[in-house]
Amino acid sequence: MNTETTAKRGPAGRARGLLLGSALTASALAAVSATAQEITVLTGYPELEPFYEHVAEGMSAEYPDLVVNIEPISLREHERRVALGLTGGLDDGTVIEFASAGAQRFLEAGLLPAAPEDVAAYVQENFGEFFVDGVSYDGQIYGIPLFRGQSALYYNTEMFEAAGLDGPPTTMEEFTEYADVLTQRDDAGNPTVSGWSLRLSGGGQGIAEKFWINLHQFGGTVLEQTEDGMWRAAYASPEGVAALSQYLDNLYVYNTVTSEMPADAEAFEREQTAMFIRESWVIGDIAQNAPDLPYATSVLPTGSIALSQNLYVMGDGEAADAAWAFAQATTTEDNMIWLLENVGWLPNRSGLDYASVIETTPALDAFVTYPDDYAFFTLPAIGPIAEILTRLADQLTTAYADESLAGDDAAIMALLEEAAEETNEILDREGLLAE
Amino acid sequence: MLRRRKWMFAVLAVLPTLAIFAWVRLYPIAEMFNLSLRDWDLLSPRRPFIGLENFIDLFDDRLFIAALINTTIIALGVAIITIPSAIVIAALIHSRAGSKLAPFYETAIFVPHVVSLVPAALAWKWIFDSELGPLNAFLGVFGIDPVAWLHNPTLAVLCVIVLCSWQALGYAVIIYLVGFKNLPVSLYEAARLDGASARQSFWFITVPLLKPITLYVSVVILISGFNVYAQPFVLASDTQGSPSHLVRVLVYDMIENSFSNFRIGYASAEAVILLSIVMIITVIQFSILRDRSGR
Repeated sequence: MNTETTAKRGPAGRARGLLLGSALTASALAAVSATAQEITVLTGYPELEPFYEHVAEGMSAEYPDLVVNIEPISLREHERRVALGLTGGLDDGTVIEFASAGAQRFLEAGLLPAAPEDVAAYVQENFGEFFVDGVSYDGQIYGIPLFRGQSALYYNTEMFEAAGLDGPPTTMEEFTEYADVLTQRDDAGNPTVSGWSLRLSGGGQGIAEKFWINLHQFGGTVLEQTEDGMWRAAYASPEGVAALSQYLDNLYVYNTVTSEMPADAEAFEREQTAMFIRESWVIGDIAQNAPDLPYATSVLPTGSIALSQNLYVMGDGEAADAAWAFAQATTTEDNMIWLLENVGWLPNRSGLDYASVIETTPALDAFVTYPDDYAFFTLPAIGPIAEILTRLADQLTTAYADESLAGDDAAIMALLEEAAEETNEILDREGLLAE
Repeated sequence: MLRRRKWMFAVLAVLPTLAIFAWVRLYPIAEMFNLSLRDWDLLSPRRPFIGLENFIDLFDDRLFIAALINTTIIALGVAIITIPSAIVIAALIHSRAGSKLAPFYETAIFVPHVVSLVPAALAWKWIFDSELGPLNAFLGVFGIDPVAWLHNPTLAVLCVIVLCSWQALGYAVIIYLVGFKNLPVSLYEAARLDGASARQSFWFITVPLLKPITLYVSVVILISGFNVYAQPFVLASDTQGSPSHLVRVLVYDMIENSFSNFRIGYASAEAVILLSIVMIITVIQFSILRDRSGR
């Protein structure tokens, strides 16, 4: 029998009952095929499905009877599925993808088992402190760091050349100046191709994360930790005003972008925007959807977000052993390079040689080669982080739609102070607010 | 004795059904009430009782208030558009009952109700698209500037109402058609003999006689309106490319509070409020629209 992989795409909004039903069905199938060792991989990144299949194929010699069920679903649905699954019960041998911040509640509740000693030693040996901390809780290692979301600037080289720009912007002031020059407008002056695509609308915490990345370039942060380990909102600050002003200036002063314009990777691939900030997965997306797109990437002015996604394993016994072996196999040097080369997400493992990948895909260079003083930040591993960011995102979308705020620093500060008050109320409710 | 045995048999026959109903219907509702009075994060075994704190917090929560207002506007908007439209369309179809095309009319109007909700919402997202959508292209023919339908907070709510009405209309028309087919012909003949016009017959005979149907349709539409979720979610979902203004509705807020914010007690309190609103509106509808003649 060979190692098999199967992919199951669950419908949106799968409820706990359905999850339990699936678990029962899986248990029944396992009983029928007594010799096969079955594990399940729950992923919130559908583009990783071929990667997990590749890992499973690589394990076939050592684990000939291993059956790997891969269940990809969109990220937000995945988070809900895991929340319901972990509280309702998941099969032994289920591998779960989790961001460091997202896993915190489950670790605090004791719902995720610690990694076996050999796996913990492997993690200590092969990953940097930043990533080890991301999978640790109370001094113990619970998972294996897999990949990270890290941002860089994508820019259309032909549009830059046509605008007389010989390189990417290196300061936030230049971002606005370049966006103004790059914007293509119709006879009435309305932008038809945005100079800089910004995340301005929609639901969810992504809007606040994108704002945080820009805020970081101005030297600010959304949340700051005090010496006693507590937290408080820090974006009602001059840096916060500068970051929000830049959004509003681009929208209403320079008219480089509108909230109605196509945005993000889709717009970049269709040449409807000249530049935007995104993670490395876009490189794979461009290769697939717009292979002839003339573009390059660049590091951001001062630093980037780094959101680590890790693998955790449920249960114990043989199935869990196989699942840990699978999770560990995802981070072999070969598989990490395969992940970068074929999917585009950045591996977390230390000491990898990216030379061959950079040679074939130069755009990846901005993600793996950066200045010594390049500063990374990540989302704090605190329970209410999603709620804080979702509520901040709501405040920001309202601000982005308010033209009267443009150029009015006092009004912008008042809005940020109101939002910060709400953030601090959430922290206070959870017992996390710094004095 | 025989009578008592029959009674016992009837009770025993109904008992399994009642037990299942209680388990899958009544127990979750009771549990929802219970959770609404507790602080539970879904993960912890502890569920401390906090009384009405969740309800007090809710009315100080701007997102909940926004969701409540949006949901109420959507539910009432759908009812206001759908019910009069459905009566008129059903009357038109009924007046062509003998036509060979009558089944086509009924099918055409009913199809949106059975179309899968997500693809339908995606299609409407394209229709409302400010740059590529056919709606703005059509308005452009008359010299009207493109409108940012899904980005303007007010227009985005209107878009949800239009989408929900489009889906609900077919169902309402079919129900009204059943009502039309059961109206007594003799009343119309008598009215005609008395010199009533077609419009007068419609207003003074058809509409009053269809009150029970209107009651049923309005209750169903309002309940589904208050439970709206997928339509605004798809129209403004958090996808890259073309996100729009998010119309926050109660069910969306509940799901976010439950599974993103892990505030099950808080979300349950929202559910209790939603249930209360629906119950109150239903009672009001019954009191206004019920047939007072006792028939």
